[in-house]
Amino acid sequence: MIKIKYEQLSALIDFLTESYQVYAPVKHGKETAFKKISSASEINKSKYNTSLNPKDIFFPQSEVMFTYTKNGIKSPPEQGKPIAVWGLRTCDTKSIRMLDKVFANAYQMPDKEMYKDPYWIARYKNCLLFSFACNEPPSTCFCNWFNSGPYDSSDSDIFVTDTGDEYLLEGISERGIKFLAGYPETSQADQTDLDKIKVLREKAESYMPPVVELSGLKDKLLKIWDDPVWDELSAKCINCGACAYICPTCHCFDMRDEGNEDKGKRVRLWDCCMYQLFTKEASGHNPRELSTYRVRQRVMHKYNYFVENYQQFLCTGCGRCIKVCPVNMDIRQIIQKILTYKEV
Amino acid sequence: MSNTYIPIPMKLERIINEDPDRTLRTFDLSFVNKQDEEKFSYMPGQFCEFSILGKGESPFGIASSPSEKGLLKFTVSRTGSVTQEIHYLQEGDIVGIRGPLGNWYPDEKLRGKDTVIIGGGFAFTTLRSMIVYMLDHRQEYGKITVIYGARSPEFFIFKDELKEWEARADITLHLTIDKPYPGWDKLIGFVPTVTKEVGLDPSAYVIVCGPPIMIKYTLPVLSEIGFEDSKIFTSLERRMKCGIGKCGRCGIGSKYICIDGPVFSLEELKKIPESF
Repeated sequence: MIKIKYEQLSALIDFLTESYQVYAPVKHGKETAFKKISSASEINKSKYNTSLNPKDIFFPQSEVMFTYTKNGIKSPPEQGKPIAVWGLRTCDTKSIRMLDKVFANAYQMPDKEMYKDPYWIARYKNCLLFSFACNEPPSTCFCNWFNSGPYDSSDSDIFVTDTGDEYLLEGISERGIKFLAGYPETSQADQTDLDKIKVLREKAESYMPPVVELSGLKDKLLKIWDDPVWDELSAKCINCGACAYICPTCHCFDMRDEGNEDKGKRVRLWDCCMYQLFTKEASGHNPRELSTYRVRQRVMHKYNYFVENYQQFLCTGCGRCIKVCPVNMDIRQIIQKILTYKEV
Repeated sequence: MSNTYIPIPMKLERIINEDPDRTLRTFDLSFVNKQDEEKFSYMPGQFCEFSILGKGESPFGIASSPSEKGLLKFTVSRTGSVTQEIHYLQEGDIVGIRGPLGNWYPDEKLRGKDTVIIGGGFAFTTLRSMIVYMLDHRQEYGKITVIYGARSPEFFIFKDELKEWEARADITLHLTIDKPYPGWDKLIGFVPTVTKEVGLDPSAYVIVCGPPIMIKYTLPVLSEIGFEDSKIFTSLERRMKCGIGKCGRCGIGSKYICIDGPVFSLEELKKIPESF
């Protein structure tokens, strides 16, 4: 584990930018978001997670898939340097790993080129994720429901603890260890630093809500799939889709053409299963006509379907959906209600 | 690396009007590039995304048979914005397709066995693919029985081929329409009723494809006759978009129609919430 003082951060970022496109949390209007930076001065230091999710780095809200003219189709330019992300929280690092499972291939399918998403892979390939311990998780956090916690370093390339005046950097993945070995600053963390981490960690964990046991959630959901309880659970929802757009793990998208027959482009855009049009067919038939069905779909996808396919929940407990919901729907309450519900 | 999202160019060779309303048209496409044709290997039941650049793309089952070399056939009902644009196409136009996508009818299982094929309306496309494929390898399959229903005689698609098949001794065809029509001397009645009445042997495999309502009422009839769930196959449809299990549109339960389907056995479907 090496340590760098706050004032040495700019040297680290400069070093990173030599071989990486560096993304970090910055102020973005009223929000905080991950954007490409060229120096450490742009970084928004905060003890909290960014208000917008980081999936945009690897899976942009809108991106050109190809352009076309009368002469044919042209792919977008190559990505260039690999991506490094500074300032992720552990939950967000996990969300990126989850999305990689979706885009890298398709579950249960043979490892075949046709199932790979070249746009995701071009950005994700060789990426370096610095994830930060959360010293003061806010009240909307519930990552500890998912066998994780504010000091969960798994899935990180490099795990960073902010002690108040310095950063302690621990290489976790092979790529992370290799990077740190090649970094000129070699000031090693000592016992005092480890003691500091211990104190910070205990304090951080004390902020977390009591753990809710989720091992029965997947099966319970399938059991109540057809139950009228969904009417009650979804009654408040206005299908605005804010939860899906703010979610770091939602990966649904649309593909649209912009242009005319001579020239234009095909773009992909985040989309959302909360919208009626998401599944509506040209014939008028809509398999998810009612809001109830759509709310159920989102909950089922995250806590049953994805688990079936990838053996983990498609939720990190980051709490963003709780913060943005205009009608105060709270996924934690929905989960708890489902767990304790006696089916009809 | 290859990119499944990039359409391959195809030339529109022939347009066939299938019905008097001109809402159903069949489009025969040929490959612009020889190497695309060589790489494009498919089986009956698979689908493609059909693109018109600038207008978007929509999924359609492949109506041609792999044995019809160099040809890809799609029958398109004019329903929404993309299908409208497809109907505006002229012979000679260049379009794009992505595919083949999804799984296919269980051809390996059908070899040497009797097969019943049940279809309705213009959803007969991939069934045509299967039938032509079987007829082109006729000695490898057992008895072939086809039940095909349409609103009225004018709304059958592939009418010329239906005539040819009727004349053949190695395939049994039951054509039915919803209600009496002048000059119609074949069956009258909905597909589920006809299925019950034509005396099917439940040891056969069944492939059913049609509008959701037809599938919904035909499946119980098949079970009643005694067909096993594992031998009944159907093809489902949703608004498939990416075609490779990422965009989330065609989910049914934990499955995606674009990669786990579109072909499912009734045995599989009974385990999937939201499948009907």
